[in-house]
Amino acid sequence: MTALCAKFYHKKGRMYIKEEFSMQEQLNSPVLYLICGAIILFVAAICVIFLFRAWRAGLAIGMEPGRLRRAVTSSAAFTVLPSVGILLGVIALSGSLGTPWPWLRLSVIGALHYETQVAQAAAEQVGIGGLSAQGMTPRAFATIALLMSGCIMWGMVLSLFFNRRYTEKLGTKEENAKKGKKGFADTAMTAMFIGLISCYLGSYIGGAATGSGIVPLAVCAASAAAMALFTALSKHRRLSWLESFSVAGSMLIGMLAAVVLA
Amino acid sequence: MDEKQRTEYLEQYTDKTHRIGRFASLATLVLLLGAPFLIGAVFGAMPDLPAAGRAFLSVGIVWTVSSVAEFLVYTPMLGSGGGYLAFITGNLINLKIPCAMNARDIAGTRTGTAENEIVSTLSIAASSLVTIVVLALGVLLLAPLQPVLRSETLAPAFANVVPALFGAMGYQYYRRNLRLALVPLLMMSLLFLFVPSLASQTSILILPAGAVTIGLGYLGFRRST
Repeated sequence: MTALCAKFYHKKGRMYIKEEFSMQEQLNSPVLYLICGAIILFVAAICVIFLFRAWRAGLAIGMEPGRLRRAVTSSAAFTVLPSVGILLGVIALSGSLGTPWPWLRLSVIGALHYETQVAQAAAEQVGIGGLSAQGMTPRAFATIALLMSGCIMWGMVLSLFFNRRYTEKLGTKEENAKKGKKGFADTAMTAMFIGLISCYLGSYIGGAATGSGIVPLAVCAASAAAMALFTALSKHRRLSWLESFSVAGSMLIGMLAAVVLA
Repeated sequence: MDEKQRTEYLEQYTDKTHRIGRFASLATLVLLLGAPFLIGAVFGAMPDLPAAGRAFLSVGIVWTVSSVAEFLVYTPMLGSGGGYLAFITGNLINLKIPCAMNARDIAGTRTGTAENEIVSTLSIAASSLVTIVVLALGVLLLAPLQPVLRSETLAPAFANVVPALFGAMGYQYYRRNLRLALVPLLMMSLLFLFVPSLASQTSILILPAGAVTIGLGYLGFRRST
């Protein structure tokens, strides 16, 4: 507590960080951890509320508990490895922005590919040349933080105003689904996702053909082969539990292939 | 629960989901935009608004367009509850969308049904909580974990999380929809082959690739109905 208090002083009723502390020390100060941690905790609470409400609603409309459990466990298993990748993003950004702010950004709303690009552009505009610990000033940091929050908030803003109208307008009528009529919405969602996957696979195929590197394509192939194996195994009654972990397991094998090939 | 009760219950559930979702989105928005000013107050240096405006014009416009497209494309995939949560917690393309699609496949639900809405919400909520926990543990154990996470041996593994993800998901989707998948895969491969510089714009090219595939899907759907 003494160490914590020693880092701050009060002036006109407001608390400031002592200037003799380096910028990195300020960016990793307990106050920043407190601010960022509180926001993350708030978002975690929202997730818990949505999770419990959906679980209760599922049971109320007669969904089997096992089906709900599989949705949760498969999603949790699915998320672990990509989350470690996101943690690497926190570490990469912590060198210039400290740890608490990238921790907040990548836990809430942020996206790995977005943060660095926007932070870099903001750093250039505030006149510190680029993202680096050496040139960082309190004003530059506050500006970068504002821009990182401001540029990517539109999905949330649109959700706030239009989610209800949009989902009500686009949703397939539940009566159709219950009668067994397959609406186009189902095909459209599958098609959109195939388009998304094709875009990434196409970039790996193109990259391999133009000499940019064969590793991403080989990782894809290894992961797909592992998925084929998991799918075949999980068809056996005694191994059906494997289905929830098949994507995570396949990803792990794909990532191991990258280590072997590199 | 009979049919009438089920309909009434679902109407109430959806209504409350929108109310909680709107409140959560608004509160998160205020907290995220307010945090830089709060930090600025602690540092004794407020954000440079003209510089933030210039930077917004240089990169923010692209991300604004991208955010609008993401909302239009991904909300129907995620449903209402999942949509609110996914736009609050982020990492859509590289995590939340594939995660929700995987959960949908495992639970065997169909787009537009109440079951799909529930599974999608469960999936995004569980995924978001796991990310929050992993990042919190990672930050807590940052010092002891650094040698592992920054190890040169493991660096290629962490650099290839996305190819590993789309390899596994690709197998699942291509296996079941091979005819639909061939054209977009060929089209995108040729595009990246002839214009390699587009590799840095992959996330933007998802939209035309998705539009072409939906168009092909529609033709197939019309033929089969």
